[in-house]
Amino acid sequence: MSGELATETRTLLGYGPQGDHDPNGPFSPAQLTRLDEALTLSSAESGIPFSVYIGELAVPTRAGAEKLFSKLSDDAVLIAVSPSQRSLHIVTGAKSSQRLPNRACALAALTIRASLTQGDIVGGLVNGLRQLSDAAGTV
Amino acid sequence: MPVIETVLIFAGIPLGIALLLALAVFGKSLKQPNRYRPGKSWDFAPQWFSAHPAVLTSSAPTGSATAVGGASGEW
Repeated sequence: MSGELATETRTLLGYGPQGDHDPNGPFSPAQLTRLDEALTLSSAESGIPFSVYIGELAVPTRAGAEKLFSKLSDDAVLIAVSPSQRSLHIVTGAKSSQRLPNRACALAALTIRASLTQGDIVGGLVNGLRQLSDAAGTV
Repeated sequence: MPVIETVLIFAGIPLGIALLLALAVFGKSLKQPNRYRPGKSWDFAPQWFSAHPAVLTSSAPTGSATAVGGASGEW
């Protein structure tokens, strides 16, 4: 071994925010960058396409979140946060639920909820994504 | 000592320190005044962020998925 450290440069960051920062949006550029990075890294390491939705959900909120999830794929995971209705849902599909059982989702939901009571939406999502990708393991 | 010097030393320095402290305390909230607090209304458009498909190892989303499990919470 030569003793050199092989580093993989990740120059491609995820979708999250696109284009210029919207000054009327709820998040600052720094927060969007954090969320973007968390989504990209957790999805790349676990191989599960994570998705984050922040907005109003059709009532009842669980059914509304599942309806949103139907636009994704069976191996995806959706984290839906509705600040106006104060509810949070994590939805897994047929394939992703095998890697992330309900108790792992419940633990992550607890983490996210704890941050949400403090008013820290992006921080909660970042921590929740990290916890979910840790529980799912690497590909 | 001339009057201006007296005023500057005995009034200007305490005022300057008070201003520095005020900036240190309130500076962050001036930069971002619309921080979310529970119970506050949320008037923004819904935002949906997803990981970049090029980074993912699985195939592109087909657009049809059934929800199987997960978790919920309220605050």
